[in-house]
Amino acid sequence: MDEMQEILEDFLIEAFEMIEQLDNDLVELESNPEDLELLNRIFRVAHTIKGSSSFLNFDVLTHLTHHMEDVLNKARHGELKITPEVMDVVLPSIDMMKSLLESIRDSGSDKDAGLDVENMVKKLDAISKGEVPPPSSSSNSMAFESSPEPIQSVQKVEVHVQKNETKPAEDDIDYSNLSAEDVEKEIERLLNQRMEDDKKRRKELRNMGKDLPTAPLVNINDEPTPAKVEPAPKVIETPKPVAPAPKPIQQSAPAVSAPKPAPKKQQQQEDSKDQDSKSSAIEQTIRVDVKRLDHLMNLIGELVLGKNRLLKIYNDVEERYEGEQFLEELNQVVSSISIVTTDLQIAVMKTRMLPVGKVFNKFPRMVRDLSRELNKKIELIISGEETELDKSIVEEIGDPLVHIIRNSCDHGVESPDERLQNGKSDTGTVELKAYNEGNHIVIEIRDDGRGINAEKLKSKSFEKGIITEREADSMSDKEAFALIFKPGLSTAEQVTNVSGRGVGMDVVKTNIEKLNGIIDIDSEFGRGTIIKLKIPLTLAIIQSLLVGVQEEYYAIPLASVLETVRISYSDIYTVEGKSVLRLRDEVLSLVRLSDIFGVDNVFDSGEHAYVVVIGLAENKLGVIVDTLVGQEEIVIKSLGDYLQGIEGIAGATIRGDGRVTLIVDVAALMNLAKKVDVNVVSKVKNSGGKSKQKKTAKDYCILVVDDSKTDRTIMRKSIEPLGVTLMEAADGIEALNVLKGGDYTFDAVLIDIEMPRMDGYTLANEIRKYNKYKNMPLIAVTSRTSKADRMRGIEAGMTEYITKPYSPEYLMNVVQRNINLNVEMA
Amino acid sequence: MAANKLEQIFKRQKEQKSPNKSGENDNIIQLVGFIVGTEEFAVPILSIQEIIKPIEFTRVPSTPKYVLGVFNLRGTVIPIIDLRAKFGLGASKQTEDTRYIVMKYKDDIAGFVIDKLTEAIRISESNIDPAPETINQDSSLIYGIGKQKDRILTILKVEGLLKRDF
Repeated sequence: MDEMQEILEDFLIEAFEMIEQLDNDLVELESNPEDLELLNRIFRVAHTIKGSSSFLNFDVLTHLTHHMEDVLNKARHGELKITPEVMDVVLPSIDMMKSLLESIRDSGSDKDAGLDVENMVKKLDAISKGEVPPPSSSSNSMAFESSPEPIQSVQKVEVHVQKNETKPAEDDIDYSNLSAEDVEKEIERLLNQRMEDDKKRRKELRNMGKDLPTAPLVNINDEPTPAKVEPAPKVIETPKPVAPAPKPIQQSAPAVSAPKPAPKKQQQQEDSKDQDSKSSAIEQTIRVDVKRLDHLMNLIGELVLGKNRLLKIYNDVEERYEGEQFLEELNQVVSSISIVTTDLQIAVMKTRMLPVGKVFNKFPRMVRDLSRELNKKIELIISGEETELDKSIVEEIGDPLVHIIRNSCDHGVESPDERLQNGKSDTGTVELKAYNEGNHIVIEIRDDGRGINAEKLKSKSFEKGIITEREADSMSDKEAFALIFKPGLSTAEQVTNVSGRGVGMDVVKTNIEKLNGIIDIDSEFGRGTIIKLKIPLTLAIIQSLLVGVQEEYYAIPLASVLETVRISYSDIYTVEGKSVLRLRDEVLSLVRLSDIFGVDNVFDSGEHAYVVVIGLAENKLGVIVDTLVGQEEIVIKSLGDYLQGIEGIAGATIRGDGRVTLIVDVAALMNLAKKVDVNVVSKVKNSGGKSKQKKTAKDYCILVVDDSKTDRTIMRKSIEPLGVTLMEAADGIEALNVLKGGDYTFDAVLIDIEMPRMDGYTLANEIRKYNKYKNMPLIAVTSRTSKADRMRGIEAGMTEYITKPYSPEYLMNVVQRNINLNVEMA
Repeated sequence: MAANKLEQIFKRQKEQKSPNKSGENDNIIQLVGFIVGTEEFAVPILSIQEIIKPIEFTRVPSTPKYVLGVFNLRGTVIPIIDLRAKFGLGASKQTEDTRYIVMKYKDDIAGFVIDKLTEAIRISESNIDPAPETINQDSSLIYGIGKQKDRILTILKVEGLLKRDF
């Protein structure tokens, strides 16, 4: 049972792999009908699938593949010329084969796929007939068809044998040529022979079959086959009691499709011959469940976090115990662990990599179909298909590429006439290229078609209300190109089967954004278009830029960071209420990360700010942050169900110090940025002096900081006549805590200089760091009278400097002046 | 043989236990009591993963006030929710007694800030009344009202607490 199941799974995985190859080969065949090697390869694939499916009792599939094989066989022998018309039948038949295989994968049977196999078979027959004149040959092929079917249908074979005794010898030879060491093929050859022979000889053959290891498989069949006739019972005698054929298969199995085909089954040998160098026959591979790889990746993630933590601790220790003997040893251990962890991570990442060719493979066929449908001549040139990407990403980029290529074919490449008129060759080319660039893979789709008409795009978007007239005017061509990603926009004059609904490019954008990718469009009107997709290599562990915003830290995926710039606020311009920065020849909109995430502005960020330029898909945005912490490798962790889907946050990571740092979702950030409409410059100016209306003296609040109780009391006594509210603190630290606590808004602080824990200068310094206390009067009340002390006080940010002893009236006046107290004295 | 013996032992144990329980003719529920604001609350002991002292957390933007943020519990990122804010009680500073109770329901997990732990409580189900109808709007959070000799406790529904309502 399990054995059967395993065989079935392997069969499906291999079949799907082979079909991918088959599609490409067939398209290539169309342009190279003479290529015998190609034909042989295609034939072998069809043949292998047929062989295996007959072992596994998929009658419908066998039936179909057999007829395909028949057509191909004729072509191989030069009896049939491969024309586009022939291909128009062969390609759909392969599609049908795919659907049958899918149905087998999903339901375990090819019986209820709901496909009109008979019709297809007839078409295939017609083709093979078309070239071979005598009608007898068609019946010949019919017989041939049933020949390799499982033995259980022997009765069928028998019938056919009777029908046509004159089986061409060449078929026989073909099989033997082909199968060589392949056991499975051997059996088929035997079957063929048997077809020619009488019943007695067939018995002998069956005995031979028993000797072969896989033979029992062939014989297994508890499934009711159409009317078993005399020879059948004997077949069933064969010892192996294997179960009613196919069971539903695990979904995951075919999806695994590890980069290299597994070496398990005999077909493999042939399969690997078929494929190019990347899977040479001797290669040793093993199929692994993706779940296991995912688990492994998670564990590595934990390890990376541990490593980060270790590095951080090492740095702390290094500072504290500088010059100690053990530090050197610790350093060695830490570095070697760190190196091994990185290597391990790369190694595991590599196990998850798939060649991007997995996705590219389906495009030759698609372009071929499209060009016929659109009556255009289009050549697809693929390069770099061996470039590798993480499995999860490979799965995601398929759809966007389909849309882009369809677009290139439909809108980009012109009709042959138009091309000739424009002085181009009548065949348009679409180039699909993949290559590595740093931590990214770039997929480039280039066509030499008519290019994008920026003006037309603008007017169309204006018509549809996507942009305003003013926006249209101020838009650069490059910005205009980005309009093609807006949903509902299509420049196609009419909606065709292929495109024009304005949905496709929106899909592209969403999917690429999901992968943290960047889209770059370049187009020259009349000359062609280049679309570049820049996608990170992997998703689970990423490089990030850590930025500080006030007291908080955020991680921005480095993949989306284009550059960082240090600017002064005077470089910021305001255009239509939005803050922008002129960066070289581009105008960049700016947004404060603290505005987006609602971070309290407690510190003043000074004259300068850092702008992190982030790019995603085709958009760019400048994000203002307070500090750049550095680059760090982070492991993405989910925030859990409770906090899932917080806008602007992609997840969290644990830093070396054990703290949680949130990861910015760049795509969402860009959206949020549109909603946040705060003018960066004015915000800076205003943030200092917001105060509530004060009506009575009691609303004014003054903090008195002095370590001596007596001094505090004296100050209190002096100011009390004003009627203001007074708070006291015994030293700098305490004062700072009171201020930070935010329970009171103070209008002035009286500060003694000589204090334990934190002196008055430091306190003033600290207070001035806070935005809201930028302009608060700080009055030094001290017995230090030297000029140097005064100077120091001013430097620290003191507003007034009063020396002890002072008269109560003087202090009161100074305070009153500083807090603008106009209320009549109580 | 051995298996048989074991089975017999188990049987005996069961017999010993069950009459005891039925003697009280009710199920005993074990709760952990804690104080938030001025009131005493309780949650089933089995829904508590652990109770820890307050540690540093990271604010998460665009969340309601009562979601303080997330913290790192041995490598897992867990949300932390302030029950005072959630129940609409005034904020207060953390004290020596402040604790995070990490509660779990199925796959949902979150930490809750409470002011003080009281004790583990055994209460029989008959002493638990359904939540009064007047506090209907909050009923999704309240499992029932437990009556003890000298006090009453509000027993909270953990799945309600862990349900995201924003």
